[in-house]
Amino acid sequence: MVGIVVVSHSRALARAAVALAEEMTPGRPVPIAVAAGLDEETLGTDAAAIAQAIGAVDGEDGSVVLMDLGSAVLSAEMALEFIEDDVRRRTLLCSAPLVEGLVAAVVAAAGGAGRAEVAEEARNGLLGKQSQLADGGEVVEVEQQQPQPWATARLTITPPHGLHARPAAKLVAELRGLNAVVEIRNVTKESAWVSAASLSRIATLGLRTGHEAEARASGPAAEEALQRLTSLAARNFDESAGASATTGSPAQQPFPTAALPASPGIAIGPIRHAVSGPTLENFEAEPATSPVDEKQRLESALATTRQHIHELRATVAQGESAIFDAHLALLEDPALLNQTQAAILAGQPAARAWAAATLEAARQFESLDDEYLAARGADVRAVGEQVLAALLPQIPIAETRSGEAILVARDLAPAQAATLDPDTTLAVITAYGSPTSHAAILTRARGIPAIVAAGTDVLNWPEGTVVALDATTGELIVSPSPETIAAFTGRAETARAAAEAAQADAHQPAITRDGFRILVGANASTPAEATAARALGADLIGLVRTEFLFLGRESAPDVDEQESAYLDLADAFGGERITLRTLDVGGDKPLGYLPMPLEANPFLGVRGLRLGLLRTELLTDQLRAIVRTAHQTPVSVMFPMVSTLDELLAARSLLDQVLATEGTPPGLLVGIMVEVPAAALKAASFAPHVDFFSIGTNDLTQYTLAAERGNEAVAALGDPFDPAVLHLIRATCNGAAGQAEVAVCGEFAADPRAVSLLLGLGVTELSVTSRRVPETKQRVRSASLAQSRTTAEQALLRATSEEVRGLPGVTASHDR
Amino acid sequence: MSEIVDVSTLKSWLIRFAGDVEEHAAELTELDSAIGDADHGSNLARGMKAVITALVDDEAPDSIGPILKQSGMTLVSTVGGASGPLYGTLFLRMAASAGDCDALGPQSLAQAFRAGLDGVAARGKATAGEKTLLDALIPAVDTLESALAEGTPFDDAIRAAADAAEAGRDATIPMLATKGRASYLGERSVGHQDPGATSLALLFRAAANTMIDGEDGK
Repeated sequence: MVGIVVVSHSRALARAAVALAEEMTPGRPVPIAVAAGLDEETLGTDAAAIAQAIGAVDGEDGSVVLMDLGSAVLSAEMALEFIEDDVRRRTLLCSAPLVEGLVAAVVAAAGGAGRAEVAEEARNGLLGKQSQLADGGEVVEVEQQQPQPWATARLTITPPHGLHARPAAKLVAELRGLNAVVEIRNVTKESAWVSAASLSRIATLGLRTGHEAEARASGPAAEEALQRLTSLAARNFDESAGASATTGSPAQQPFPTAALPASPGIAIGPIRHAVSGPTLENFEAEPATSPVDEKQRLESALATTRQHIHELRATVAQGESAIFDAHLALLEDPALLNQTQAAILAGQPAARAWAAATLEAARQFESLDDEYLAARGADVRAVGEQVLAALLPQIPIAETRSGEAILVARDLAPAQAATLDPDTTLAVITAYGSPTSHAAILTRARGIPAIVAAGTDVLNWPEGTVVALDATTGELIVSPSPETIAAFTGRAETARAAAEAAQADAHQPAITRDGFRILVGANASTPAEATAARALGADLIGLVRTEFLFLGRESAPDVDEQESAYLDLADAFGGERITLRTLDVGGDKPLGYLPMPLEANPFLGVRGLRLGLLRTELLTDQLRAIVRTAHQTPVSVMFPMVSTLDELLAARSLLDQVLATEGTPPGLLVGIMVEVPAAALKAASFAPHVDFFSIGTNDLTQYTLAAERGNEAVAALGDPFDPAVLHLIRATCNGAAGQAEVAVCGEFAADPRAVSLLLGLGVTELSVTSRRVPETKQRVRSASLAQSRTTAEQALLRATSEEVRGLPGVTASHDR
Repeated sequence: MSEIVDVSTLKSWLIRFAGDVEEHAAELTELDSAIGDADHGSNLARGMKAVITALVDDEAPDSIGPILKQSGMTLVSTVGGASGPLYGTLFLRMAASAGDCDALGPQSLAQAFRAGLDGVAARGKATAGEKTLLDALIPAVDTLESALAEGTPFDDAIRAAADAAEAGRDATIPMLATKGRASYLGERSVGHQDPGATSLALLFRAAANTMIDGEDGK
């Protein structure tokens, strides 16, 4: 990716411009370096610093340097004399205007444009503004700080609750994008003028029904602005006559239709609200890093919150969605943001700066004498705390109170989901969230029923409200009738009986009706998980994610430490076979002690075995620890993210070198993960060199459908039932036939509907989350290989995942 | 040919210039406030202070080229305004021309100034008559060269160069600025003395004052 260097006299200006530009490309970080000011306060430019900044972002694609004026240009030119020839050849000084050019350049660079194109885009950065202003017909020189030539208009406030958050947000929205400065005041209360672009300031005017407001505007679009406001007021600020922002008793509300089942199961019980996250008055912020970093944290927290609100907004009726527009407008409120940014620049952590600004705004509302407006302070607090929570490190939800309950929370972070206790948490209901999130996966893994995206109303349910939910179907019933309770209890009993039957046979081998043994393993990475896996009857551990040993530390674990960790795991599993996957990290989860270049697309970059072959000392150490472990207990080793035979041969040769010194342990099996379509299709070429294949269906699905599972916009595409994925599983089994075994260790293996399908495709081992081992074994026992093969053949002829799911053999296996 | 500028003379020149800039900082800034961004005096004073601080450091270089180079780099990183890269270029090009030696003769000094002048002109993409420091630098270097070519003794030549720089400085008053921040003012720049040319004249006067034995003040 092309790097960008921002040269300015002012460090604050440069950082603000960078923050502005980065807003355009969330999630696609462009390397940007700032060379601005002589220090935090002193204006000036420094050629040596510019040269350094160029070096910092320089890469294969070079960089584009944007600068403000005067000495910035001279210094930038001079900087070129200070850098290496080859770097200079790929460094472009660009005459674009700094702010507009930077925004355009960052967008172009994030999109993968070359440096000439980035520079061209930057130079064109003024076009939008130029055409906008020329369009107005009157290119007015905006006078600075002069007495403004104001145009004014009167507005009568007609909505029943006055100009509360929703109509005020409408007002702000009407003015957005207009080249005009607009201010507004409450004539009735003789208030001062406030900016009409600031939702929080407008609301402090206390404009109630019948009040007279005056708006004044200056600038090229002043007339347009006033016309829009007059028209908005004439439309009763788009409030329908009966519109009311109050809600009825929450318990009587039907549950939102968008509530999504995220983890199957049935539960009836009183709700307990998750111990609330940070409040504006009470939280602990980490000390500030640099203002730039803090600013970035703020931006990203705002973006996260914005997305949450958008998601929720999409789930409510159109008439009510405007209240979320008010929340969204708060996230863009210039007064709030300015105050926050000023505090950040003054050295405060983003969390504290944001909390102070929103708290002040909330209190302004709360101090108003109008009961309705005062209550809007709660909106500010809610949005404020939402952003604050996104700014703070995730804290586990403490389940301090005893007794079983259904946990109700705003949303769960993966870390929080992982701390839930299945013994006391009957189920989870979240206001936000997605069934495809990692938190949902974790909840499923813990066997806790969960319904997500149920809407914020659930947060208002009184503590102890009894709720019945069937998270298999998504049903959620508040204060259920005795009949409903009976029906749900009956369903739960049936399910529990099936589970108990499965548990009772958990330690028996899983043999199909027609007599084929299928190994059902567990995915486990810690001794505790291994103990659980053993208790639940896992035949082996089919996947140990060894990166758990490597993450969150200053240096890589040495051979001895690894060996002892692997042995602990094997001991906890009673000395049965464990399958160690070598380190699987990449640019998306870099290790501190393994610096990696910034990749535009880490999922297609250096990860898994690719990294191991670049850093052979790391892989060799790990293989040595694995081989030493294998001398003491049955071990399989597998390499992740293999796409070519050369990679496998290189890895095997490293392993052979280790075996030459350590000796070859009896029973050491070697395999590869199949996550890349290329590996699936070439299984026959790999087969002579491996004992087994293990298909990682999550990644295989992602790479096959080109849909990242974390991206909710495309998550639905990443469906493992897609016939393309099934064809690749079949290709793997065909290629392996007679030479190597094929296992599936992705989440797909734990899907009850998939078991028969996988067996039919030729898979002989399933590795699932421990909790699903008994049930998966039952699935195997109820299947016949012959029938499964027929089902699989039919599935391979289908065109869509829906058709596959509709096959009798697939749906049938879903019924108990 | 006698060696006019040894390491200690060079250091004296720089220290003298720094003192002069400090002394005239308010005046330079005032000139700049009329047609620029009112920072020339304070910027250059800050930069030269840093040059002197680096000069007296124990680790400081002890030969002509390296001292000039260090000074140039220091100016580049500490002045902040346009005079940073411009004065920086002047010293860096002089450093390259002078090389790593213990002393410069008159010709070598003139060559170094010429190299510096060329660098500054290229850096600013300016020529004579545009109300910049070149309007002092060009006549100063031209005068130094021609005087030496005519066989004028060095003392007289460098004094003439300083005079020429001051005359050039004064000549900027009626000029119309077409480069730098002053160019934004257009016609309004006429009637003001250019601050860059003013400081450049100080540089040559400081040279004359330190390189001529017994010369002091004017």
